[in-house]
Amino acid sequence: MKESITKKIFNALNERFQLDNLISFLKHKSVPKYRNTIWYYFGGISLLLFIVQVTTGILLIMYYKGSEDLAYESIKFINTKVSFGWLIRSIHSWSANLMILAIFIHMFSVYFLKAFRKPRELTWYTGVILLFLSMGFGFSGYLLPWDELAFFATKVGTDIAGQLPLVGDFLLKLLRGGEDVTGATLSRFFGLHVALLPGIFVVFLTMHLIVIQRQGMSEPEEWKNKKESEKETIPFFPNFAVHDLLIWLIVINILAILATFFPWELGPKADAFASAPVGIKPEWYFLFMFQTLKYIPAKVWFIEGELLGIFTFGLAGLLWVLVPFWDSKTPKGKKNKIINYVGIFVISFIIIFTIIGYLLD
Amino acid sequence: MYKYFISLIISLLIINFSSAKTKKNFIPNASQQTVNECLTCHFDNEDGNGEPAHLFKKDIHFNKGITCAGCHGGDPTKDDMDEAMDKNKGYIGVPSKAERYKVCIKCHSDSKKMKSFGSNIPTDQFEKLKGSIHFTKSINASTPIADCITCHSVHNIASVKDPRSTVYPTKIPKLCKSCHSNASFMKQYNPSLSIDQYEKYRTSVHGKQNAKGDINVAECASCHGNHDILSVKNSKSPVYPSNVPQLCSTCHSDKNLMDKYKLPHDQYENYKNSVHGNALFVKQDLSAPACNDCHGNHGAVPPGLESITNVCGTCHAFNAELFAKSPHKKAFDKLNYPECITCHSNHKILHATDQLLGVGKDSKCIQCHKNNTNDKGYLIAGEMKSLFDSLKIADSVSTELLKDASLKGMDISEAEYSIKQIKQILIQARTITHLADIKEFKDKLDEGFVITNKTKQAALDAIDEYYFRRYGLGIATIIITFLVIVLYLKTKKFEKKK
Amino acid sequence: MVEKEKKEGKKSRRDFLNILLSGGFIAWLGAVIYPLISYLRPPQIEVVKVNSVNIGKVTNMEKDSGKIIKFGNDPVIVIRLADGEYRAFSASCTHLDCIVQYRQDYGQIYCACHNGRYDLHGRNISGPPPAPLAKYEIAIKNDEVTVYKPSV
Repeated sequence: MKESITKKIFNALNERFQLDNLISFLKHKSVPKYRNTIWYYFGGISLLLFIVQVTTGILLIMYYKGSEDLAYESIKFINTKVSFGWLIRSIHSWSANLMILAIFIHMFSVYFLKAFRKPRELTWYTGVILLFLSMGFGFSGYLLPWDELAFFATKVGTDIAGQLPLVGDFLLKLLRGGEDVTGATLSRFFGLHVALLPGIFVVFLTMHLIVIQRQGMSEPEEWKNKKESEKETIPFFPNFAVHDLLIWLIVINILAILATFFPWELGPKADAFASAPVGIKPEWYFLFMFQTLKYIPAKVWFIEGELLGIFTFGLAGLLWVLVPFWDSKTPKGKKNKIINYVGIFVISFIIIFTIIGYLLD
Repeated sequence: MYKYFISLIISLLIINFSSAKTKKNFIPNASQQTVNECLTCHFDNEDGNGEPAHLFKKDIHFNKGITCAGCHGGDPTKDDMDEAMDKNKGYIGVPSKAERYKVCIKCHSDSKKMKSFGSNIPTDQFEKLKGSIHFTKSINASTPIADCITCHSVHNIASVKDPRSTVYPTKIPKLCKSCHSNASFMKQYNPSLSIDQYEKYRTSVHGKQNAKGDINVAECASCHGNHDILSVKNSKSPVYPSNVPQLCSTCHSDKNLMDKYKLPHDQYENYKNSVHGNALFVKQDLSAPACNDCHGNHGAVPPGLESITNVCGTCHAFNAELFAKSPHKKAFDKLNYPECITCHSNHKILHATDQLLGVGKDSKCIQCHKNNTNDKGYLIAGEMKSLFDSLKIADSVSTELLKDASLKGMDISEAEYSIKQIKQILIQARTITHLADIKEFKDKLDEGFVITNKTKQAALDAIDEYYFRRYGLGIATIIITFLVIVLYLKTKKFEKKK
Repeated sequence: MVEKEKKEGKKSRRDFLNILLSGGFIAWLGAVIYPLISYLRPPQIEVVKVNSVNIGKVTNMEKDSGKIIKFGNDPVIVIRLADGEYRAFSASCTHLDCIVQYRQDYGQIYCACHNGRYDLHGRNISGPPPAPLAKYEIAIKNDEVTVYKPSV
């Protein structure tokens, strides 16, 4: 019998790399099928959006110039003169926002489904680090167009970093590359955005994906007492994978639609001596913190209000990251209502303060 | 009957005692025959007719019965020197240059006193003089530059209406010249002020007529004022730039006066409605030309027919230069046409519209050029206008398209910037019209057409891009939707399999 | 019998679906790759057409010397011979586009990249250059030297 070409290639690779083990492992990969299966897609969506970011990012670097005098003009050039430049740029900006949104949804769904519990603590830790890294991507990337909004958002953001006691001043100078936001800041943020953060991100992403493959999909808590035959699952290949592909295609289409009908704006060029524009605020994923800080009184007790705010958020963030640590009930199989309440509180807080931030222009 | 006689004496006495008698100066009233013993000595002691006492006999004050004491004080009835020139009787001798004007104003600023001498002349001369530039202190810081006596002289003062008066209209130019054409004198006060006004004046129509004895034409005081002369830079001066047209029109809009010289009297009306008048009066632009800028001020004379281009060209330099090089210059001069004025008028210069060019009914070209085979000018004029109009149309087409593209959200900032140059090109083309050369005109407009073509293309490209994006998206969506459906069917297959 | 037909029917339907899938995938790939390639192609930058360049006074250049000037976007070599005559050629070597130079010691135009040589009429006389240098026109008016584009 004549072998097909694909079969020939597979055999050749198999002889050298023992792909059979890999194939059988993949064949057994499965996803639990129940009412919450839909949340299992969001990890993949986050991954897709990261791939989109890397692709469009590399394309943008072909034309972007990262110096104070040229950055703004190069973005304008991409938007107007480069063939499909408008598409690549708008997709990059929209996808950045959608990626962080997807990561938030992914994180909260993991939280409520308690997938962080033993043995998956490391997955959770690497995941939260990936979230912080993506917010770092968002913050550094936002400055690169060097327009008015970018300049002032960076100014305010780095100012807040400078508020920290002891390390604040050092941190501010480190971020800004000087006392003020200048071309030096742009160079640093550019290096951060295209070299340092991608490197670190890939490391943690690899860790995150490896441990997931090793440990398989997390099963719902209620299945703890079920027999293997009673657990309804979908094989990852090809069923779940095809669904995944379907959703990915739709997400790509959504990105193209957003880029065409809601192209990303480019404001006036940054001017260090212009007044801060009315209604200046950070991107939505920072907005709830920014808005909360506005409401804290200037001095609480003997502590400066802003400092208290930063510390509170820092502490809350730390507790959130360490949830596998302090959730003692779930590993024992008990329902931990506190986790749910805390989660609902956090989500509501974020949503409410984000909305307030937009309404109170 | 004697009742009448008594009332006469009583009235005489009343008139006598009702006159303003000061203790110091014995200033008689008009009806008194006054005794002037001063002249007894002073007349005899003088050598000739130029001396005060000799001169005083011809003085108007003398004729009105005012004695030497009227200005110098003292007692004119006494012929003894000590008694007459008695300080206690108010004798002040020759008043100092700084103070002598006070002698004049004692009567001349007092309307009652003036009336008592039967005089109706105004009594505000000193008030006016006080605020004038002549009354500022001279370089010695004590005396005024000019006072009453500087111009009216002394001892032989005649009425202004008397040709013998130093300030009779025909005498005034020479009077003013005596200081104002004296370089070393003027240098002490205003070195940058010119000193050739008199010379220029004598070349003007006003000056020539004045020299002939015509007192109806303007002389120095007619424009600058007599007592209240202000600096030209003072906005209250009648010769301040924005006041000049009204000043000239006081005579030049007077029909009766102008008819005598066979001159028109509508210039001021016309000027007021012109662009120059509008600039000067409404926009308060002091650099706008008034009568003197084209006609000259001291040497006022309308420019000769062949020099009109140069006069207009002092401001409208480029147009003048082009016109002088054009075929129109020779033709106009030969036909005695007044150059610029032929198309633009002289006083009623209105905003030049684009309709002036071409062969339309409002154009100036058709006033000479006719539609026949010999007249190349007619064809050129028509061609110029149609080219000009096509550029304007191309500009508006491009602008509309660019607006459409920008409303669609496309970035056309570069094209928007270039199209602004069209306005400049149209302005330059309007100027080049004066050269009356079709090639230069076409070259300039061609620059504009290059821009309108480029910007129109940019706008069309932007609009095409807008639609391309949406069609492209549509195609991509169709492909993806198709794939999604096929994949979905595939998944159904897998599920069935299971 | 019926079962075999059913199976075959199912198979052909499956094949048909697969064909559609592959077709759709290829179309999708095209819809992604076309913009990508288009994006990577550099956009056209407007080039201002230059027809002549004035290089200054006759006495500016020494006799028996050469210099490179910018003619729009192209390099042009101007040489002044020992007898004072001016000549100009394209300075892009016809071999691999290096910029040539005038060598006083050779009395020739020389390309340093691969030892190509041209004579003072621009003809390639030694080394790899396969063709002569394009000739540019020289005009001298009022003591000013101007280089013109070659008449094609």
